[in-house]
Amino acid sequence: MDTNSENKTSFFHRFRKSRLFWPLVALALILIFDAIYAPGFFKIGILDGHLYGNLIDVFNNGAPLILVAIGMTMVIATGGVDLSVGAVIAISAAMGAVLINPAFGNELISNEILTQNVSKTPLPLIVLANLGAGTACGLWNGFLVSRAKIQPMVATLILMVAGRGLAQLITNGQIMTIYYTPYFFFGNGFILGIPVAMYIVAAVLLLAWFLVRKTSIGLFVESVGINDKSTYYSGISEKNVKLLAYTFCGFCAAVAGLILSSYVHSADANNIGSNYELDAILSVVIGGTLMAGGRFSLLASVIGAVVIRTFTITMYTIGVPANALLAAKAVLVLLVILLYSEQSRRLINSLFEGKKERRDA
Amino acid sequence: MKNIKKLVLLMAILILALAACSSPEVAEPPAEEEPETKTYEDMVLCYPQLGAESDWRTANSASIKQEAENYGIKQLIFSDAQQKQENQISAVRSCIAQGVDVIALPPVVEDGWDAVLTEAKDAGIPVIIVDRSVSADSSLYDVHLGSDMFLEGQRAAEEMNRLLPDGGNIVELFGTVGSGAAEGRADGFRDKLNDNITILDSQTGNFTRAEAIPVTEAFLKKYEGQIDGMFIHNDDMAIGAIEALKNAGIQPGDIKIVSVDGTRGGFQAMIDGWIQADVECNPLLGPQVIEIALKLMNGEAVEPEILTNETVYYPEEAADLIDSRQY
Amino acid sequence: MHRIKKFLFKNGPLLATILIFFIVYAIGGQLYPAMRKPQVFFNLFINNASLLIISIGMTLVVIMKGIDLSVGAMIALTSVASAALLQQNFPPLLVILMMTLMGILFGLTMGAITHYLKVEAFVVTLMGQFFARGMAYVINRSSITITDDFYKFLALTKIHVPFFENAYVYITSLVAIVLLVVTFIILVFTRFGRTVYAIGNNEQSALLMGLPVARTKLIVYAFSGFCSALAGIVFSISLTSGFGGYALSMEMDAIASVVIGGTALTGGVGNVFGTLFGVLINGIIVTILQFNGTLTSWWTRIGVGILTLIFIGIQSLFYVRKKHT
Repeated sequence: MDTNSENKTSFFHRFRKSRLFWPLVALALILIFDAIYAPGFFKIGILDGHLYGNLIDVFNNGAPLILVAIGMTMVIATGGVDLSVGAVIAISAAMGAVLINPAFGNELISNEILTQNVSKTPLPLIVLANLGAGTACGLWNGFLVSRAKIQPMVATLILMVAGRGLAQLITNGQIMTIYYTPYFFFGNGFILGIPVAMYIVAAVLLLAWFLVRKTSIGLFVESVGINDKSTYYSGISEKNVKLLAYTFCGFCAAVAGLILSSYVHSADANNIGSNYELDAILSVVIGGTLMAGGRFSLLASVIGAVVIRTFTITMYTIGVPANALLAAKAVLVLLVILLYSEQSRRLINSLFEGKKERRDA
Repeated sequence: MKNIKKLVLLMAILILALAACSSPEVAEPPAEEEPETKTYEDMVLCYPQLGAESDWRTANSASIKQEAENYGIKQLIFSDAQQKQENQISAVRSCIAQGVDVIALPPVVEDGWDAVLTEAKDAGIPVIIVDRSVSADSSLYDVHLGSDMFLEGQRAAEEMNRLLPDGGNIVELFGTVGSGAAEGRADGFRDKLNDNITILDSQTGNFTRAEAIPVTEAFLKKYEGQIDGMFIHNDDMAIGAIEALKNAGIQPGDIKIVSVDGTRGGFQAMIDGWIQADVECNPLLGPQVIEIALKLMNGEAVEPEILTNETVYYPEEAADLIDSRQY
Repeated sequence: MHRIKKFLFKNGPLLATILIFFIVYAIGGQLYPAMRKPQVFFNLFINNASLLIISIGMTLVVIMKGIDLSVGAMIALTSVASAALLQQNFPPLLVILMMTLMGILFGLTMGAITHYLKVEAFVVTLMGQFFARGMAYVINRSSITITDDFYKFLALTKIHVPFFENAYVYITSLVAIVLLVVTFIILVFTRFGRTVYAIGNNEQSALLMGLPVARTKLIVYAFSGFCSALAGIVFSISLTSGFGGYALSMEMDAIASVVIGGTALTGGVGNVFGTLFGVLINGIIVTILQFNGTLTSWWTRIGVGILTLIFIGIQSLFYVRKKHT
């Protein structure tokens, strides 16, 4: 197999070696599957002046996951992990809902809230508070990890547990329905026929790409992930790099919370963004970034998130029974991970020889 | 050697722990044997709520708390199990340890209550099962006050039959897989549904808006132009589904929707013309629970099976009734 | 004097955990006199038997610098599988044996994938979690009642605690205690136990020292699988039913208990007795909130979060000081 690929053009060879290769293969496999079993999957139409179809849905309602995956990539690249993103989504969504109408939390729904198209706070301020709350959460995580030296899993576990409690505190335990139309722009709006959420994803991705590729921050992030001691000795503030990564992840989760609450027209502190931390981590892993940190690729993580969303929507489309969905997902992801991981493929090949060697030794 | 010392020390600590918690053996809460009839002022009611997963549940909690105040009962011990049965069971045990007068339990799932209900019975505390039912032997509790999920499903099916007299294709948005509410509604629905109506597909939306949207979107693309109706297991999911319908450019009434709950959001959707029939599932059980509890305290006879008063709502009356909806 | 100091340093986090447990308990007893009943203490063991069992397995995995996210889902899978088998009139003892074997195999498989294929334990066990919960729903999507007499006997037989009037535990609580003691002995007194600590401290040097790293790792994951299957059996006994939705995110409770109990996620440090008190602290906080009866659920979550933070603070204090001495 290897000799074959060497004969191919250098472009293909480069492509094969690229970190995007295996995630793309996974995506292609799912799409081929769709082409055979659900031909309607690829249909894209135009409806009321905007694009409409399954593939658009992958990006539109997958936008929050893609955003969280971008943030998670930065954190994982520093050798950490952020378990609190789901809770941060809830906090950010709760913030938005509460500012639109503070009365939500305190009384049972009244007609005034239900029918009037008004907000108690101007929209820019809502967005600011939304993003501010999430970023503050990220900052808190970053502080715990970089300054208090708490292991990332534990540090973010704290917010994961407490965060939904905080969100419920904000909403007073209610599921807050949002009736304020301008707020829906982020999750349901279209510009030039393309969902607004996609523009937001592109903007955040661009911001992240600029940070990591046009400044030296990306290099710092990788070096921290590979060896934070030596990074420290080489004069880079490993603390600030970590702080930045977690803060950025919090920011991404906040944007995801904004889009998600706008998309579902409500803030449900208990359920919104549940399991996003796991899906985001899987996206990053499918994207080929190691959990141990080091080399990373934002684009590959985005593709990883797209793989997960495409898979989920495929499952809905072909009508896999709901109860088998989780098991199917597990098998898929494990296969993908085994597929792209050079290390494991090599290990499979050398497993028998390796065993012999160990026995000799 | 050192390790053995450590072990001995740890054992000692553990024994100390056991001793420590037993030493302040204090008088149990005075178990007054009052011969005269008890009133609301004497009542200590325990309500281990299962969680706060939907508008319905929030309204249910609010109703219990509000009515406890209105009736002026001595103490309401309220806790929240966050949808976990193990939490709810431990909450019931805590109530037993506190020696409450009555336990009103909205069980998260039907099974698994035998042991803890036996403990309550041994402690002589009457139990009201609220909302969903339990599979434990009926001798272990005193009253079941609740909605009949199967009946709700049947009512929904009758509405669907009325809306689609010439038959047609429908899809179902299923509640949480395995929950009594969802399974009961689904079974009841299939029991009464006309033969000329086909259920094309059924997929879970977990009773939440967020999950209902992508599922509905996938349905709309898969069965483009084939769907005549939708049966949705609660109003939260219906609201989510309507968002997806709007995005797909479908007009209100194109797809007939029958939903369950009768929340304010559901009423608004009826006024807007999206939902054609909303089967009520009443969460405002506070007054009934407290009144039954008093009867149990006084040893009066109570019907072992009490159904809440429920009906079906239609768009025509929605605008008049929406102001009176409390949830 | 010096030795006492040394002992305090060495077991600082554990002693702090135990101390905090008693302080919290004392506060609860002050606020709510009914909490002083011995039964309230024993209820902690009744309610948390499953959590304690998976936390014991988790402790070993974490000491070895691994993690096992599949345990909660395994409880669900075991409960459904055993309920389904009992429904088909399989003899209960055979069912218990089969479930235990399944748990061991499941753990072994995950351990093998992490070790030989070098996929992170976090990812593999996360997949294990999805797979187990998914399979549980595939077997049966609604809950299955267990009507088997032997299971019912186990579920309903109270064991009176000696020296205490009217105080009881169930057979299942004893399983957890026995497992705790056995694991403690294995961990502290055997070569295997020391190897676990050595791997957690530094896998590379453990390998260079000629310790059986691969074998130990596989055994530890298999042990965690065994624990989660055992916890699943206990769970299905105490609830006399099986359901795919049981024990949702219980792995996080287990990890929190392990951490509160003084086991560091960085590996190499820890103790199962600390884990016991981690579980008990979790339980006592919940009990206090239940006794209070007015605090809403979000305060539970915030409270648990803050407490975890405090424990981590205490721990890092000890570890930092240890480094300097």
